[in-house]
Amino acid sequence: MSLLEIQDLSVVYEPRGAVPTHAVKNASLSLEQGEFVGLVGESGSGKSTLGFAVTRLAKAPARISGGRIVFDGTDIAHLDAEELRTQRRGGFAMVLQSGMNALNPVRTIAHHFGDIFAAHGHVPKARRRQRATELLDKVQLPSTVLDRYPGELSGGMRQRVSIALALSLEPRLMVFDEPTTALDVLVQHAVMDTIRELQAAEGFTAVLISHDLGVVLESAERVVVMHDGEIVEDGASRQIFSAPAHPYTQMLLSHYADPRAEVVELPGFERKAPQDGAARPERAAAHDAIVVDHVSKVYPPPRRGEQAVTAVDDVSFRLEPGAAMALVGQSGSGKSTIAKMITGVERPTSGTVTFGDLRVDRLRRRQLKTLHADVQMVFQDPYSALNPLHTVEYTLTRPVENFAGLKGEAARERVLELLETVGLTPVEQYAAKLPHQLSGGQRQRVVIARALASNPQVLIADEPVSMLDVSLRAGVLGLLEDLRAGLGVSLLYITHDLLSARVVTDQIMVLHHGRVVESGGTTQVLRFPEDAYTTQLLDAIPQPARRFADGQAS
Amino acid sequence: MRYALRKLGLLVLTLWAAVTLNFVIPRLMPGSPADAAIAKLAQNGPVTPSVQAAIEAQLGMPGGSIWDQYVAYLNNVIHLDFGVSYTFFPQQVSELVAGALPWTLIMVGAVTVIAFVLGTLIGIGAAWKRGTWMDSLPTVGGSFLSAFPYFWTALLIVFFLGYVLGWFPTSGAYSATAVPNLSWEFLGDVLYHAALPAATILLTSLGGWILGMRNTMINTLGDDYVTFAEANGLRGRTVAIRYAARNAILPNLTGFGMALGGVVGGSLLVEQVFAYPGVGYLLFNAVTNQDFPLMQALFLMITVSVLLANFLVEILYGVLDPRTRR
Repeated sequence: MSLLEIQDLSVVYEPRGAVPTHAVKNASLSLEQGEFVGLVGESGSGKSTLGFAVTRLAKAPARISGGRIVFDGTDIAHLDAEELRTQRRGGFAMVLQSGMNALNPVRTIAHHFGDIFAAHGHVPKARRRQRATELLDKVQLPSTVLDRYPGELSGGMRQRVSIALALSLEPRLMVFDEPTTALDVLVQHAVMDTIRELQAAEGFTAVLISHDLGVVLESAERVVVMHDGEIVEDGASRQIFSAPAHPYTQMLLSHYADPRAEVVELPGFERKAPQDGAARPERAAAHDAIVVDHVSKVYPPPRRGEQAVTAVDDVSFRLEPGAAMALVGQSGSGKSTIAKMITGVERPTSGTVTFGDLRVDRLRRRQLKTLHADVQMVFQDPYSALNPLHTVEYTLTRPVENFAGLKGEAARERVLELLETVGLTPVEQYAAKLPHQLSGGQRQRVVIARALASNPQVLIADEPVSMLDVSLRAGVLGLLEDLRAGLGVSLLYITHDLLSARVVTDQIMVLHHGRVVESGGTTQVLRFPEDAYTTQLLDAIPQPARRFADGQAS
Repeated sequence: MRYALRKLGLLVLTLWAAVTLNFVIPRLMPGSPADAAIAKLAQNGPVTPSVQAAIEAQLGMPGGSIWDQYVAYLNNVIHLDFGVSYTFFPQQVSELVAGALPWTLIMVGAVTVIAFVLGTLIGIGAAWKRGTWMDSLPTVGGSFLSAFPYFWTALLIVFFLGYVLGWFPTSGAYSATAVPNLSWEFLGDVLYHAALPAATILLTSLGGWILGMRNTMINTLGDDYVTFAEANGLRGRTVAIRYAARNAILPNLTGFGMALGGVVGGSLLVEQVFAYPGVGYLLFNAVTNQDFPLMQALFLMITVSVLLANFLVEILYGVLDPRTRR
């Protein structure tokens, strides 16, 4: 008998006063004891809803509208609250996406363990601390963590603590809902390793929910692909990797590539900009270079008695007009601080930043406007970069009026032209929309259109695609490429994602602890990295191809 | 511990600043109490210089340099010597304040604390049982009651319960015939007299606490640590109290601190309506009679009570929220 049998399960969202949406439609799935299964899909595919339903954590307005969830012989879909609660020990556990928020900020880690032990009474009082220490040891944390509050731990440590907490239930099924998505690249890799080792050692059934097919293929033996609430494919990882049957799976898979490969191609993305200044673009918006010369930024100590933080340490580079350069590194490497100094938001502690004749590090408030007409930012999160109360037209009209000085009909024409440029057609329709009526990719296009309103010479894009589904990424990257080829703007591309850096940039700088550890042509650096840190970053990228090529996987 | 000491140091500093301001501001105002008294007398006939000198002496007009005055003033404040009241001459201001303060602290202070605790508990229940009658009844009732201006509620209560039905006394802190002592009989009499003003404050402030707690707790109920606690099979009560409510109460503490600080100064209207002999009542008399020493002492008291309440809440924050201790 299977450990978990999901039969014809449907989950519906019924928000008050809105049309109900069927998030999961007639899903059937069975999991054997000890399996490691990946559940993949893009946002809105219903994968998390399924995960929450299976662990009976779905809350109103979500409702299980049909089907059975048979766990170890009992249908848990309709258990009452107390029965369900006691079932959780030795049953099914869940690790949430943002482990950093999964812990109660006002209770120590020891209390978290104590609460679980007390709720189920499966560990006697005298043994609790010892047991908690054992569990922490399994996720490679020292016992000193016990007396800390969640706020005193790093994101990766908190996610490890929440895995240890889930483990303390001695579950037979563990659902990991995007366990590493909110974490830093290198930490992600380490936490995934721990999850894999734990699963092998403890033998629980693991369900890994992720939007990242690469991560799943690297860990799971079996992959279940969801699209629009339905399970569209279910098969062994090797088979999904080498011969995906469903077009949706094929599409997801086509967006994976190794940034180290000789030729890197993404579907829907075409390389247009001249590489290494071979030919000039049709128009040359950019004619000034950004010169960053021996720049350092030191922040005062966060608390008394602590050390000052050196965010950027003696960085120099030159962004030629029309060039595309990538700044890569993990979070805290100083890449965003550099962007802030180039846009005049922060002033360097030492060193100079010049743009054309402007000394950016000395600009006054009024001169900043001149700078911002030429240097514009595209932000990471398109969901919070747009005011939800304003239409697209309003959002774009403001910078058009402020920077270009256009009014009335002329301004409107320019707005529509901008929408055309970023590929949001029919333009009239999009102009009238509010942000919530747009997808993430469309919103990011609006953000880019807004950045273009002043006819800038330079675009600084800070992780512009990291919040987007893979299928939308190529489109936005393609747009950045078009802008460079068509308008001739320079691009400073900030990311931790080496694959996208490889396709849209010519030059790359790898930052670590605020220092440049390696720089050069993007292709050269990524194909033949010289610094250990660059190699580390490259190794952190899930590479299903490697796993299956080596033949080490089952 | 270091956190508490730091806050204590800050309290001493702000106290000194408040006391100093209380010294400076009246001296920046044109005219003096003596001028006011003389002007009043002048309406009945000419005031001779000797009368003027007598009045100034009687009112204890300060002499000497501003520095001497400041040192003398600080000395007086430390010894709680605020001079003699004009209205209740020759009673000491400190005696008057000492007579009024307990009534306000006990009646208004206790009710404020009770309202906060009760409202918070009801708010927790409402959020936990969201969407049921346990939620809708207190939230709708609470918003209805807190929509009334509280002096209006006070007037309605005095009129119906006190005047028309005659169930409760309408003025004073205890019966005119009672002699203050520590007998059960006297305590009962005090509670009986406090019932109406207390009910007014409770009714009008309860709704705010209920709504505040309910809304913050609805937010924390959606937080990941609550979902995770449920996923780990913790008991409903543990999740509601130690996880959701424990975090939801933090933002409400600020409001509680402000309410506590307002106890001394904010009871003016209620005490006026119910003729309750507390600080608010005293302050009203002081203002209408231009009783400067009394006013000055009361203003200082109000400032100090706000500072103390804030200090208390910050210490409470330190105890309840590990993130503030750093």
